[in-house]
Amino acid sequence: MEAKTAKTKAGEWRKYERVLLPPIKDLHRIDVYEANGGYKALKDAIKGEKWTPTAVTDEVKASGLRGRGGASFGCGLKWSFMPKPDGGPRYLCCNGDESEPGTFKDRQLMEYNPHLVFEGIMIACYAMSISTCYLYVRGEYADWIDQMETELAKAYAKGYVGKNILGSDFSCELIIHKGAGAYICGEETSLMESLEGKRAYPRIKPPFPAQYGVFGRPTTINNVETLACVPLILERGASWYAGLGAAKHPGPVLYGISGHVNRPGVYEYPTGMLITDLIEEVARGVRGGKKVKAVVPGGSSTPPLRADMIDGVTMDVESLREAGSMMGTAGMLVMDEDTDMVSWLRRVTHFYHHESCGQCTPCREGTGWLEDIVSRIERGEGRVRDLDLLADLCSQMEGRTVCALADAAAWPVRYTIDRFRDEFVARCRPSHVAVPALPESELEEAET
Amino acid sequence: MAESGHGKVVKLPDRDPKPAFSKEDLVFASEEKKRIAGFVEEYEKPDGAIMKALWLAQEKFGFLHPDVIQLVADEVGIPYAQAYGVATFYTQYYKNKTGKYVLDVCTCFSCQVCGGYDILHYLEEKLEIHKGETTDDGLFTIQEVECLGACGSAPMLQVTNGPYVHHLTREKVDALVDALQNGQMPSFTSITLPQDEDEMGGNRRTDVDKTEAYRTPPVAETVE
Amino acid sequence: MPKVRIDNETYEFEGRPKLLQFCLDIGVELPHFCYHPSMSVPANCRQCLVRVGTPARDRGTGEMQVDEAGNPVIQYFPKLQTSCSLEITDGMVVETHRSSEEVAGAQKDNLEFLLINHPLDCPICDQAGHCPLQIQAYKYGPEGSRFEFDKVHKPKHIRLGPRVVLDGERCINCTRCTRYTSEVSGSHQLTIIERGVRNYPMTPPGTEFDEPYSMNVIDICPVGALTSADFRFKARIWEMSKTPSITVANAKGSNCYYWVKDNLVMKVTPRQNMDVNEYWLADEDRLDYERFNKDRPAGPMINGSAAGWDAAYGEAARLLSSVDPSEVLFIGSPFATVEDNYLLTKLADSLGSPAPQYIRHVEIGKGDDWLITDEKAPNHQGCERLGMSEIDAEIAAARIQTGEIKLVYVLEEDPVVAGVLSASDMDAVKVILHPYNVTNETLHGANVVLPAATIVETVGTFVNIDGHAQRVRPAKAIRGVNRTLVMEMGESRADRHGTPFDRWHNETNLVDCQPGWVSLPEVAERLDIEMAYKGPRQVMEEVAGTVDAFQGATYEAMGLEGVRLMEIGAAV
Repeated sequence: MEAKTAKTKAGEWRKYERVLLPPIKDLHRIDVYEANGGYKALKDAIKGEKWTPTAVTDEVKASGLRGRGGASFGCGLKWSFMPKPDGGPRYLCCNGDESEPGTFKDRQLMEYNPHLVFEGIMIACYAMSISTCYLYVRGEYADWIDQMETELAKAYAKGYVGKNILGSDFSCELIIHKGAGAYICGEETSLMESLEGKRAYPRIKPPFPAQYGVFGRPTTINNVETLACVPLILERGASWYAGLGAAKHPGPVLYGISGHVNRPGVYEYPTGMLITDLIEEVARGVRGGKKVKAVVPGGSSTPPLRADMIDGVTMDVESLREAGSMMGTAGMLVMDEDTDMVSWLRRVTHFYHHESCGQCTPCREGTGWLEDIVSRIERGEGRVRDLDLLADLCSQMEGRTVCALADAAAWPVRYTIDRFRDEFVARCRPSHVAVPALPESELEEAET
Repeated sequence: MAESGHGKVVKLPDRDPKPAFSKEDLVFASEEKKRIAGFVEEYEKPDGAIMKALWLAQEKFGFLHPDVIQLVADEVGIPYAQAYGVATFYTQYYKNKTGKYVLDVCTCFSCQVCGGYDILHYLEEKLEIHKGETTDDGLFTIQEVECLGACGSAPMLQVTNGPYVHHLTREKVDALVDALQNGQMPSFTSITLPQDEDEMGGNRRTDVDKTEAYRTPPVAETVE
Repeated sequence: MPKVRIDNETYEFEGRPKLLQFCLDIGVELPHFCYHPSMSVPANCRQCLVRVGTPARDRGTGEMQVDEAGNPVIQYFPKLQTSCSLEITDGMVVETHRSSEEVAGAQKDNLEFLLINHPLDCPICDQAGHCPLQIQAYKYGPEGSRFEFDKVHKPKHIRLGPRVVLDGERCINCTRCTRYTSEVSGSHQLTIIERGVRNYPMTPPGTEFDEPYSMNVIDICPVGALTSADFRFKARIWEMSKTPSITVANAKGSNCYYWVKDNLVMKVTPRQNMDVNEYWLADEDRLDYERFNKDRPAGPMINGSAAGWDAAYGEAARLLSSVDPSEVLFIGSPFATVEDNYLLTKLADSLGSPAPQYIRHVEIGKGDDWLITDEKAPNHQGCERLGMSEIDAEIAAARIQTGEIKLVYVLEEDPVVAGVLSASDMDAVKVILHPYNVTNETLHGANVVLPAATIVETVGTFVNIDGHAQRVRPAKAIRGVNRTLVMEMGESRADRHGTPFDRWHNETNLVDCQPGWVSLPEVAERLDIEMAYKGPRQVMEEVAGTVDAFQGATYEAMGLEGVRLMEIGAAV
């Protein structure tokens, strides 16, 4: 990778004007939201002149909007999977479970611009002829749920949500569903099981949610931030959206930056920001003038990047894939040179062990085993061959389960060890076996 | 996300539990029944209402004693076993009596590298209990929990499934414990977006009493 | 017809079968734990993984793509697929562990995971020897374990209910038991509790797993996590023989296996018959076996004293010829086989006595719309179909008291308990009795006692409440040698490894009794009545050929799953 030559794909990001969280006092209040053009996109859509449901879906498709929940799947494409209405119920689930460690952006969107989320939900429901949406919010966000309930009641009162929205034939209920502490509920099929009042075990796919979703009916699941983009796309046009940030992964993104930076927080910028810009300029550099050791770009499941791997890497699916990681939720953790990667990985493995629903064998059994081994290494009782065993176990878990939690648990282990192997080897018990050298590919990477 | 620290021993729940509430107390008021009926209306099948009804019951009774779960199941109209399976799956439902205040300290991911364990250990020493335990006066329970989604304001904790307390320091923990001992729950804190600070000179909301700006996290002394 | 290739063999298929069930149906074994044909498919055990490809199609035309050699181009799924949940499509190509190292490796990996927290206590586990986990671990699992940590410890020997015991550590969380209570029995008494590696099935506090069909979870549990409170630690699977038969606690005729060790029935498990009980058995059917082991008569008796069989037959014949045929009351039995009841009918007919009647055993409200019936005897349909009528106890008792009846001839039945006879009557009338157990209250005053072989010791036919005619086979031996019984006897595991006679080597617990199709012809012979059959098979052939209500019910036709007879009205 050509360091320093790669440029941000975020354009003149220093002059970027925020759209998801525009700088307007009390925008979370419905009157302020309305006064600033809020619910206009919904009004336009429902009038039906310019925006037939299909036209809305096409516009979203044309915008290139990708899901902001972690998988970066094309939103318009997902909507188009919904079968034709058959008269029975159909559902939208807005996923506000936000439990991926390192991710805290949906909460801020729900606090500061809830009506944008509601409006996006209503437009999506209109586009897919859906009459019920569940907004699934993690139970820990109790305060924010209360605040949203208040605002939602106002939206109902003003006819933006509910029966005969804005005097039209279109009716749609929006129900906030409060979770109760389970990471797995962020997984779309698990979320549906949870809504159905069952233990939140992910479902085997196929059938996909569009065919067999909540209560066995056609269902689409979108992240909070994803749906918040929808009114903006209708208002400003797909081409505006598509022109923002990285071409293949456009739009505004709420970057949640945490860890050892001087100014952590949620920042709105286009996709395609250089990781280095985000750290050095946006978050004002690493705390105490320390060097970066590792960056986890998009939540705990995305493989960590070593400091020497982030030069020129931008925050979009393409660049991150090339760099050896993923966009995930854009919840970025920055770790400085003093960070103990072994302890950090141990805590990550504990998380997945604790949060595995226990349904599938490899995940139920594997996550705990990973934690056992990494803990042993952390205590200085590990052996170098444990590192190979960990890699083996990761292979035994990846792609072998109903949902992706096993993969999410395996990736940080595989890549942290791969990319910080020296640190792990140094923690292992002295061994008579010679320590294997770094693979050649890694040496090359380290040199560039 | 309570009950951290996976022990390797899974205990059998008390299969013949003593009642914790009298028969007269173990009922829903008509207002509560109405609310639960409202929850049931919100879903295609009554089962969907179980989580909200369990929340309601936990707020009323303090914790979900099996008798309470049975009561909820009957009111919602689903099998008791299903309700019990659901209640044990989610960590925020308290299956056992807890202290008056449950301090859920996040030590996960960002909080770990920003001093979450320092706060946990400080609390443990201060209250002279280990995580998972309750103080003798029944006031505090400490739990180590998974990511609470406030990584930018690490280290942080949540009080009894309610307010978040951000940017924790020892001093802040002292003040929190003092306040709770006096029966004062922390009030909601709105975290100011950095861009709002720059562009609007502070928090955008005028309807909250307490705001905090994101700040540089402390250096963690321990990460385990 | 659409085709699927499995391990380079091509099979045709119809409809939209799932791959695992299809493989099982055609005899291609695939390891699995959570899948059960009668329940939803969660695909949670992850054991049945296979590599699957489908023919590549041109995006534009939808035409199948072919390579240079003209063979269809196969696009493989990027991940291994669970065969239980995968619907077969035309042209699909499947590689199992037989042809794919990747699949074999994945199955081994999965078994390694399954075993890390499993206690590996096979030497003391009831399931050992017929445990899917044990069998598949040996066949497909790793040679050792790389797990070097404490295992998770879960509650053990917990009585989930009166009849089912849980060992939480053995559980592999396949959720068959909880799915059973929510999808099959509908009792909803079980749930998985906790989360992740701490998961295990449990009843919610304050309740018991006591539904009348609770023990089915023991059979469907693919490990030794759920065991029978009744059977626990009584016998190892390889010490028992198993015989296909039916149960007799009610009139459903549920298909079962009788497991026998040392000529004692140890347990009863269900045998699949989709026309009768599918995969299931009621608990009452399973626990209704002590009557075969306990309180059995020591041998024939005359007037309360032990006697030889020959003398007893002779005395029975003498008594029968000492009264006028019209003064004899023959009582058939809904507990006995069609064959025995038929022979009794023939005996009565030959003597010129009125046709036998039978006692009905109904407990109103005991039944459900599943496998438990109000009818508590297994063969009242058989009796009805033979033209026997239900006895009116009051009328019969009155006729006995007035001396109109001087001899009562009873197949397995208890007329004293039924109110037909009273103890005081027994001085006045003569009684010939074929009892199963010494608890029979009629036995004390009986003049001739001819101990009868029970359903687990005989060969014969029963007709269930729905008109399903089914065969029973001897599961345990009786004293003496009977060629028919030996030939029909179930095979034991030892038989397969030794001589056919190993199984019978054990002389303990043999009961001195006879099937009705032995004893009734013996009595008849002594009355010069022609009743020479080669055995029950021939009796049933005659019944099927001469009695309309049994049309088609030959042994060959009944086989292991029985035949559905015409409705009684229709047959006449």
